[in-house]
Amino acid sequence: MSRKILMVWSVLTGVLLAVSAEAADAQSINDIVKRGTVRIGVNSGAPPFSVVDSKGTPIGYDVDVANLIGKYLGVKVEITPYTTPARIPALEAGKADLVIATLSPTPERARAVMFTMPYSTFQLVVVAPKKSAIKSVANLAGKKVGVSRGTPQEVALTRTAPKDTAYARFDDDSTTMQSLVSHQVDAIAIPETVFKEVLKAQPQTDLEVKFTFFNQFMSMAVRQDAFELRQWLNTTLSYIKQNGELDDISKKWTGNALPPTMPVF
Amino acid sequence: MAFELQFAPVVADAPILLHGFWLTIKLSVSAICLGGSIGLLAATARSMAPRRYQWPVDLYVELIRNTPFLVQLYIIFFGLPALGIRMSAEYAGLLAMTINLGAYTTEIFRAGIESIHRSQIEAGLSLALTRRQVFQHVVLKPAVARVWPSLVSQFILIMLASSVCSFISVEELSGAAALIQSDTFRSLEVYILVTVLYLLLALAFKIALSFLGRWLLPGAAGRARVTSGGKTGETPRS
Repeated sequence: MSRKILMVWSVLTGVLLAVSAEAADAQSINDIVKRGTVRIGVNSGAPPFSVVDSKGTPIGYDVDVANLIGKYLGVKVEITPYTTPARIPALEAGKADLVIATLSPTPERARAVMFTMPYSTFQLVVVAPKKSAIKSVANLAGKKVGVSRGTPQEVALTRTAPKDTAYARFDDDSTTMQSLVSHQVDAIAIPETVFKEVLKAQPQTDLEVKFTFFNQFMSMAVRQDAFELRQWLNTTLSYIKQNGELDDISKKWTGNALPPTMPVF
Repeated sequence: MAFELQFAPVVADAPILLHGFWLTIKLSVSAICLGGSIGLLAATARSMAPRRYQWPVDLYVELIRNTPFLVQLYIIFFGLPALGIRMSAEYAGLLAMTINLGAYTTEIFRAGIESIHRSQIEAGLSLALTRRQVFQHVVLKPAVARVWPSLVSQFILIMLASSVCSFISVEELSGAAALIQSDTFRSLEVYILVTVLYLLLALAFKIALSFLGRWLLPGAAGRARVTSGGKTGETPRS
């Protein structure tokens, strides 16, 4: 009887292990095309760049860009949302071939991944209740500011804000937004696009943008040895910038066309 | 692809990690003391109360045990302010951990209490001990001694569950790890280090709590072991 149990257990474990073994990382375009799908990671809670609709499918600016890239690659697109701190680890672990996840190219991140030229842009703002007297970065002294972990606004804020600002770090922009709505923090630093979504959902909110403190460009990221993929992505990005397809996506989700002077590298 | 582990950037941020380690310890010890007391009180109250008045404890236990800890945490941190009750992230985390631990320890104490045979209680009463004395010395003390290993394991579980508090911005050990990881992008190195720290902490808790149990309740529980030597005089099994 116990030998039968052992046999059943080892068969089940073997099946489980076999099923969970993942395909090898694709390092070049040909691997992706041969596989037939490209695995693209997006942000899990960053309206309007990527959100999850009522059926659980990711939609948004970044998702549209991802689908466009898939179309030009000629393969199926498999989109997986990741929380802000998990974007780069997912890429490094081979779970995604590239990430289009509101990642901005900073020198620290560029040590771990390779960035394409920017494909979109947003403003980073500080939001607080209307009756709050915060007008500039200096006013944040002694206040509690909510921010998402591992984001450019976290880096920009910790560099420019006064030394005695207290930070509350959350895992994504929606939770950060929620912390201000529930008055657990005095102010938050988030992309302006996220706040515009909140205004759409709750026009009667008592929160407002206090000031803009950073202009941020966003790039796609690939693993450090995927030179071929990065070069292809840059070529394609340049192409869709010229023919207006990228502009169309930007107008659809943010109402603005792309600025004419985005960095190119 | 050649992958090297680089611990240097992580070690440079060691003060953040140590601060988080200390916060984890503080949260866990406080939650253990408070949650354990709540569990003991609730189990005692339920045992000594007539059946009609047992439902509040039952409600508490079923509500907390059948919902996820993260959901309980979010309700306390994000939901209570809507009712006007606002508290810092650390206190919200402590409250959630305490309530959660209280429910689980109530059931563990109940198991211990119900394992005391009625004959013990009758013997105590026949020696003219009051009902309260019987409960305290004949029922509760051996009961707690019997379930001590179970309690220790539940305490360690709540210490590990403190990592969930990082979702409401508490910079305990997991929160510190996420912070360092987002600064340096050395995810594997950070989490290896944090795993080792949690392991050491759990072992330290286990040893400390085992000693505490033996010191508080010496000899109150049996130490039976099944051996196939001839000591107990039983027929050895093959």
